[in-house]
Amino acid sequence: MSISLRITLLMVLFLGFTRCDKTPVNPALEPYNETALDANGGTWKTYILSSGSELTVPAPELSSSDSYTAELADLKAKMAAATSEQKEAARFWGSNGVLRWHEIARELAAEYNAAPKVNPDGTYPVPDVNNPTNYPRFPFANPPYTSRALALLAIAQYDALVTAWNYKFQYTRLAPYKNDNSIQPLIPANDLPSYPSEDAVIAYASSEVLKFLFPGEKEFLTAQAEEHKESRLWAGANVQSDLDAGEALGKLVAERVIAYAKTDKMGQANNQAGVTQLRSDATARGITEQWTSRDIPSRPPMLPFFFNVKTWNFDQATMIADRPAPPPAIGSADFNKALDELRGFSKSRTREQQRIANYWADGTGTYTPPGHWDRKAAELIYEKQMNEIRSARVMALLNAAMEDAGVVCWDTKYYYLLPRPSEVDPSIETCTGIPNFPAYTSGHSTFSGAAAEVLSHLFPEKSTELQNMAKEASESRIYGCIHYRFDSEVGLTSGKKVGQYAVQRALTDGAE
Amino acid sequence: MRITLLVFLFISLFSSVLKAQTPNDGLMMAERNWCSMLQYSHSAWNEYWEGTDRRYNENIGTVSTQSVMFMTNYGISDRLNVMAAVPYIWTDSDVSYLNGQKGIQDLSVWVKYQPLEHAFNKSTFKIQVTGGLSTPVSNYVGDFLPFSIGLHSKTASLRGILHYVLDKGWYATAQAGHTWRSTMKSDRDAYLLHDELIYSDEVPVPNVFDATGRLGFVNDKFQAEVSYEYMTGLSGDDIRYNDAPFPTNKMQAASLGAFAKYHFGKLAVQAGAGQVFSGRNVGRGTTYSGAVFYFFELPEKKKEAK
Repeated sequence: MSISLRITLLMVLFLGFTRCDKTPVNPALEPYNETALDANGGTWKTYILSSGSELTVPAPELSSSDSYTAELADLKAKMAAATSEQKEAARFWGSNGVLRWHEIARELAAEYNAAPKVNPDGTYPVPDVNNPTNYPRFPFANPPYTSRALALLAIAQYDALVTAWNYKFQYTRLAPYKNDNSIQPLIPANDLPSYPSEDAVIAYASSEVLKFLFPGEKEFLTAQAEEHKESRLWAGANVQSDLDAGEALGKLVAERVIAYAKTDKMGQANNQAGVTQLRSDATARGITEQWTSRDIPSRPPMLPFFFNVKTWNFDQATMIADRPAPPPAIGSADFNKALDELRGFSKSRTREQQRIANYWADGTGTYTPPGHWDRKAAELIYEKQMNEIRSARVMALLNAAMEDAGVVCWDTKYYYLLPRPSEVDPSIETCTGIPNFPAYTSGHSTFSGAAAEVLSHLFPEKSTELQNMAKEASESRIYGCIHYRFDSEVGLTSGKKVGQYAVQRALTDGAE
Repeated sequence: MRITLLVFLFISLFSSVLKAQTPNDGLMMAERNWCSMLQYSHSAWNEYWEGTDRRYNENIGTVSTQSVMFMTNYGISDRLNVMAAVPYIWTDSDVSYLNGQKGIQDLSVWVKYQPLEHAFNKSTFKIQVTGGLSTPVSNYVGDFLPFSIGLHSKTASLRGILHYVLDKGWYATAQAGHTWRSTMKSDRDAYLLHDELIYSDEVPVPNVFDATGRLGFVNDKFQAEVSYEYMTGLSGDDIRYNDAPFPTNKMQAASLGAFAKYHFGKLAVQAGAGQVFSGRNVGRGTTYSGAVFYFFELPEKKKEAK
């Protein structure tokens, strides 16, 4: 073989390794057949609206009317003209709109979960809601922020769908494919009345609330909502008036949810000026060794007044009555025992313990622990092939409980101001980032305890798995050496208690 | 920065510092000659490139990576060599509360082939190609950057080498290579890539192109060299602003290196240094290394290792 031939062959071999895209494809959500209609869904108990009939949806034109006939013709024309991308969009949004918008929210949470970079003078910049695209972007989607964002999204969807169901079964307009046999929908047909469109309701309740929560994303969210709405025409699932009524209703409910959110005291949760008083109040209660930031330079504590934010399933007096007992005193035998355990993990952990710490870390650049559980709920909903209103109910019960858990946990954290293990013993090294707030109780544990309690009630067949997940999430923080065992154990118990308030609501909301 | 570390580590281990019959230099072991090496390497940085922004991070401080690597090389023939290497690596930071990592990293094997050797009047020109494979040999965490000891990805590489040497010993070498990297398995099952949330524990690690230019002198007793090296990820995103690096990051580095090596009979010692001077998503690392070589000739044919 000649040298030039050998070199040529090598070159061919070299180029033969084509570059392939190694990015994994996200699991597909396929449209499914929703059998249960939940015809009484319009009577289920709402969160912010007084009931499913508080808002008015005007009566539609009769299906015998000329205008409806014209709408059917228009629908058929749009279906016929739909491109392959539009047909793909019809199936994308047709799987379960509630879950699609939670996916969007989780992605935004992950993208916006970034701690602001220190200024040259050692201070830290604060995200500005009025300049959301200037660095640092608003919001910093940390765990409390994300818990509230997911709760507001889920409750907007739920209240809007309860209202939609109320009018669907009042007006009972049949789906276009039931009125016209020649229409072959691109997604599974069902017997749900089509006016107002549940998808348009979801699209606009969700997008408007998310625009309030992520104001730098208005353009993106508007485009997503428009595509979601339009996709129902390409799918052959709604006529234009179904969609327009749904859009109007979704926006009305979003307005109400945003009005609630403007007065839930989140606006004052980052009141750094109040921290001095908060600390001196703790000193007056005998808490002299107080948490300080582990960041260099010292970073102002994360949302020190999040505990004042309005809760969903109980009031502030109940929260204070339920507040966990104080942690073991620093230097006490119980405290030292917990610290000793961490000294051990700091020196060596098994690979499995490290895996658990990493799996549940849910730190910056992720959808946070509430997002982790929101995703788990979405998987359970999809597995059970729930319809939209029942999906929204699960998401609302779960996420309201997780926001409540965040508020309860922040109350405990800033009441006791317990230093992190590495502050008490600097020799303790961690295998995950130390969050910028006090140790007791563990946020992961509280969120997870609440989530597992709610989801165990809604998916009893998964109870063992869910409770094990919560326990693992809780222990992950001990393996990571950022929490004492009592932070995690008390947090888990406290979270379960929060979850039980949500279960009480679930038992009486009319859906069981 | 972690990746940087790693990449830089590779650069220093296999190119600029260790210069004897490596996968990407212009030298070959003679038939039936066998060489083993033990190398200690220390690399550290306190500045890194977050994307293209060079910065210091008080919460990270100075990150150091140390390694002890065993490497062995055998001449099947004057034109065909096989090599293998495995490093033990440990990382640390002087200020961070995060645990450093340690462990055996990846086992690499290479085959180096010389299809062409042409003698001119007072010089020789050679062409060589190297194919390599590597695989993690311990269950280390590949995405705890910048403290991970590696990216926990399997690789395959192919490189071409042009080597021109004067009979007096002065030489110039140019090499370029492409490394394919498999996905790595993360302990997490969701991560951002280009601001898109991926629901998977399979993390794509960018493929890499690298190239080196070397000038040096070599004879039976002594070798010295200076080199310029460039590597770049062929895809990937930047480190998120003020966040930790991740295996999906596109890493680039340009560095200068030098080493000297001296033979005492069957033994040789080598000392080298390298400095990254520009980069992207990598640490601005400074590396020092020292190595001891042992040469051995199997009986029958007798040739000089060069």
